[in-house]
Amino acid sequence: MNVASQAMPLEVADPDLTTDEDVDTDRPWQVLVWNDPINLMSYVTFVFQKLFGYSIEKATSLMLDVHEKGRAIVSSGTRAEAEHDVHRLHAHGLWATMEKTDGQ
Amino acid sequence: MLIARIAENRFIFDVPEVLRTSVLDLATQLDDELDGDNDMVQRLFPTAYPDDPEKEAGYQILARSELIDTRHSAIDTVRASVKEVEVDGETLDAWMRVVNDLRLVIGTHLDLSEDEGWEPPPGQEASHAVYRWLSYLLQAIVEAQLADDVDYLDDL
Repeated sequence: MNVASQAMPLEVADPDLTTDEDVDTDRPWQVLVWNDPINLMSYVTFVFQKLFGYSIEKATSLMLDVHEKGRAIVSSGTRAEAEHDVHRLHAHGLWATMEKTDGQ
Repeated sequence: MLIARIAENRFIFDVPEVLRTSVLDLATQLDDELDGDNDMVQRLFPTAYPDDPEKEAGYQILARSELIDTRHSAIDTVRASVKEVEVDGETLDAWMRVVNDLRLVIGTHLDLSEDEGWEPPPGQEASHAVYRWLSYLLQAIVEAQLADDVDYLDDL
């Protein structure tokens, strides 16, 4: 899964090489996971622990938010970081999307 | 059936042969569909940017082929370990992802719902039975990994 991030043009070391405004770390992105009727609660909890290193308590709390509120914010960061997390969640079959924290 | 950690990166994988070969049969079918445009597999490639078609197109170009490759690789691992009674963590992880992918494809096809009183569509009872034993197997795989890493020390 590291290959995708290496292939992402947004992860260039020198920010001057790109003019993409989305590289701006002052406008972070957040990663959301949405409820679906198929993924098991135990599986979702485990995936949050595995991918993000969250404690069982935090992972369970996020899973319950997904289940009961329909969605939860599971991580945030630059656009490249958020896209990497979305990609890893998609590789595990979770229904993840990303959006700017300012709602734009 | 018993799936349990016996060392830090070692698991008993005592799964009936009929389940193993059934998972492999289904996974082999999935393997053949991953590179195509069959609607059945669309659930495995969700949208990252639901409100931004331009960024979404970019994401799909970068991510989709790798999501496909990751899944081919996991299915290869299942195929290579289909007779193993002990597996390492990476192998068990591949089984977990493949079994869940099969559940996603079958569950989407069944139009599964959390509503009380949901029943499989007429003629789809057998698919629902498959879905349920895949869920049973997935639950066992997850529980084995969720179990406290030091639990196995108690048995030494």
